[in-house]
Amino acid sequence: MTLLQVNKLQTVLKSTAGDVHAVKGIDLKINRGETLCLVGESGSGKSVTALSILRLLPAGIAHHPQGEVLLTRRDGNVEDLLQLSDYAMSEVRGKRISMIFQEPMSSLNPVFTIGEQITEALQLSWPDMPEKVAREIALESLVEVKIKDPQVRFNEYPHRLSGGQRQRVMIAMALACQPDLLIADEPTTALDVTVQSKILNLIDDLQRDKGMAVLFITHDFGVVAQIADRVAVMRYGEIVEQGGHSDVLYNPQHSYTRSLLNALPENLPRQKPQQASSEVMLEARNLKVWFPVRQGLFRRVTSHVRAVDDVSLKINRGEIVALVGESGSGKSTLGRALVRLLAPTGGEIYYQGSEIGNLSPQNFRPYRTDLQVVFQDPLSSLNPRLTIATTLTEPMAVHGIGDSNDHRIELASQLLDDVQLPRDCLWRYPHEFSGGQRQRIGISRALAVNPKLIVCDEVTSALDVSVQAEILQLLLQLRSRYGLTLLFITHNISVVEYVSDRTLVMHQGKLVESGETAQVCGDPKHTYTKTLIDAVPRMNGSLQFQPGLQ
Amino acid sequence: MTSTAIGDRKFKRALRRRGLGARVFSSTMKKRGAQIGACWLGLLLCVAVFAPLLANSRPLLMSVDGVLSSPAAKYFSAADVALVVVFLLAVLLFVWRQFSTGRNLLVLTAAGTLTFILCHLVLSPPKLSVYESYRESNVSLRADWVISAPIPYSPKDYLRDYGDTGLQAPGISEDRTHFFGTEANGADLLSRMIHASRLALGIGLVATSIAMVLGVIFGGLMGYFSGVIDMLGMRLVEIFEAVPTLFLLLTFVAFFDRSLYIMMVIIGLTSWPGYARYVRAEFLRLREQDFVQAAVASGLPLTSILFRHILPNAIAPVLVAASFGVASAILAEATLSFLGLGLVDDPSWGQMLNQAVQSSTFNWWLALFPGGAIFLTVFSYNLIGEALRDAFDPMTQRAQTATSESVTDAEQRQ
Repeated sequence: MTLLQVNKLQTVLKSTAGDVHAVKGIDLKINRGETLCLVGESGSGKSVTALSILRLLPAGIAHHPQGEVLLTRRDGNVEDLLQLSDYAMSEVRGKRISMIFQEPMSSLNPVFTIGEQITEALQLSWPDMPEKVAREIALESLVEVKIKDPQVRFNEYPHRLSGGQRQRVMIAMALACQPDLLIADEPTTALDVTVQSKILNLIDDLQRDKGMAVLFITHDFGVVAQIADRVAVMRYGEIVEQGGHSDVLYNPQHSYTRSLLNALPENLPRQKPQQASSEVMLEARNLKVWFPVRQGLFRRVTSHVRAVDDVSLKINRGEIVALVGESGSGKSTLGRALVRLLAPTGGEIYYQGSEIGNLSPQNFRPYRTDLQVVFQDPLSSLNPRLTIATTLTEPMAVHGIGDSNDHRIELASQLLDDVQLPRDCLWRYPHEFSGGQRQRIGISRALAVNPKLIVCDEVTSALDVSVQAEILQLLLQLRSRYGLTLLFITHNISVVEYVSDRTLVMHQGKLVESGETAQVCGDPKHTYTKTLIDAVPRMNGSLQFQPGLQ
Repeated sequence: MTSTAIGDRKFKRALRRRGLGARVFSSTMKKRGAQIGACWLGLLLCVAVFAPLLANSRPLLMSVDGVLSSPAAKYFSAADVALVVVFLLAVLLFVWRQFSTGRNLLVLTAAGTLTFILCHLVLSPPKLSVYESYRESNVSLRADWVISAPIPYSPKDYLRDYGDTGLQAPGISEDRTHFFGTEANGADLLSRMIHASRLALGIGLVATSIAMVLGVIFGGLMGYFSGVIDMLGMRLVEIFEAVPTLFLLLTFVAFFDRSLYIMMVIIGLTSWPGYARYVRAEFLRLREQDFVQAAVASGLPLTSILFRHILPNAIAPVLVAASFGVASAILAEATLSFLGLGLVDDPSWGQMLNQAVQSSTFNWWLALFPGGAIFLTVFSYNLIGEALRDAFDPMTQRAQTATSESVTDAEQRQ
């Protein structure tokens, strides 16, 4: 039985650069009790579609030249949400259709308790509901989403809750009014995999219990594989393919869907493993990075946050070592401490046999050319004020690479060739590039000083799957061309499996497991690694089309 | 594409894209408010630079028995000449499209100082000003022809040769034209206002520059090094924030000379903590940004990291604050002058306001015109500050770049 039917929906957003056709006449159908996954890369219009259905886009900016959103009421009547009055629409929101958002940290009001916020949502939907009843229902809904100690949490403020718990509260709030349809806009993207799998299970359970339909928006095919009944693939505001779970995922018809699936790290064509030498390139012994916690008027150090606690590791020449862990596990801190962007609190770092962990910044400078970093966020990793040419040639000049400015410009344009960007990019500013292009420039900057080892700190986390595949392949190419050693910091297990020779697993500042990637991912020894690997949403079953072909 | 083409200057220039500064400037100037503000300030700037040519009792050029002379030029001070030279140079640089801001500023400052020193040595304006001999009736008897200034009254020409001097509303006097009337001593109000625009612009810019330089230095050091330096710096900031500017000014004026420079310095010295706070916050934020971390990782020297990678990105909120700071400096001077504690003889808008209420009658023209000028100037700076803030606002900026980016991305893929 159809619950929501979207016909030829168009959404046009006004912007200074002219009208943007964010949604270009899409058709969607969601049945009662069904999960429809809307998949697409960033900018494909999937969130705008969700917001259009609930009419949450600001009226001054968005309008719908065409289309209807038909919602079937419980009594069987059908109404077009786009034609409803604002008052009638507010009846639909919450009561009939609820929505949960991506960022759990900012979607709860910090000055009200959890309980107050859920109670308020209930009372807005049913103004006649007595306070006491509303509070009871609110508490029940917290129990339903399996929060620990719901009675305690009920009277607590959002800052006391972790990201996963907040997302549970958001779900509780959305479910308290017992909607027919839940729209979930990337609800697990900001969460760690282990938390993600719990939230996905929760949504799945609740949906089954209540017979609620879910419109699940995501970019992650692993998640799709886990929860979708039907899948719709979106690109540039159009739905290119729509169909059952297994049809779309394992026998895709449209070339775009195929290219997306091909770009998943687990489906990328593997390269021959390189023979790494046994010469130790970088070694850390009992490395500690503690951050002092200061309190009071005189900022006395009361305790320490042990971001990296007694970690020892070895990286051999020519190896790609993956450093895996969840957010807050200290993996980025470790990476930064290894290249001395952070001063270690204790322990030693040896680079090619010489101790560098305790050198003064002045004495460490010669090693800067050998050890480089590429950062996660392509937006902030380039100075917006400098042209790419300046960004690339400045480090060269400082380290005496190249004879003259013209020579360095020539070297810089060769670097751009290396990362497959046109040479005229040299004279552009960072804002003129897309995220993937900026990440390439970030890589070329690291290469500018002829490094031996590059720490790649979540380099692909902010990128779309297809761009991620390009960047990963580029890194592998560069590695074999220049004989680089890479320390690849990531939380994405499939990226680890694709890219790395050896894997280190970090948990709460400590290294819990290390070994060959195949062994760590296939047969984890440590309990934490086991939960981590198990939590990764995967596509199971083999693809029925040839990977690598489009 | 060959390497020679890359090195080619023309090729570079053709491909040169606009930096953040140029983008912010153009998006600021797209705002109607900023346009109006910039128009008024531009007008004020021209008036201030060419004040001696616009309002002067002495003829600009006259010919007596076939001999050309310029009585006005004889009285030009070194500052007058230096101002005109710098202004013309700035216009020239703008027309030639030399947009390297740092170098331009350097050239202008150097040219200004040089002309000032030269003129100081060469020019020796007479100490005694005699205005009577240049009155139209006197001059026309002697000279063949005369070109006089549009407003033929100097700011300190109290028209003592006429008997009926004193407060006059506009249009009262039959034999002389005072567009804005006269002030208490009989000098032409418009002329005084024109010359006072120098003070208004100067005090705002100089005082704010002093504050900005101090604020950027202290704020930058506190932000980048943090720790103990930050803690000590913040206490210093708090101490300076507790000093009431106006009372300090009053005290200084009471004990020392009524000097314009002391005023500028005091306003500057008491208003830097605001800028320091902004800069500190920006430095703290930028220090953790990936591009700064990358600069550190590349082993760039500290000076480059501070001045090339952090400072240009931290200057935005300071500029916004500065445009409001200029307005408040102008108001501080006007307040002081209004209280009768400003400069003694030199014209100032606030002092004219003071005269509006001093005699038994309310002299509306003395309130309206200078008051209007102060209002318009302060308002203009605020409008520009507002537009700058919008232009620098990361939210609007991000939205713009995001849309344009997604559009170009889509184009590239299709």
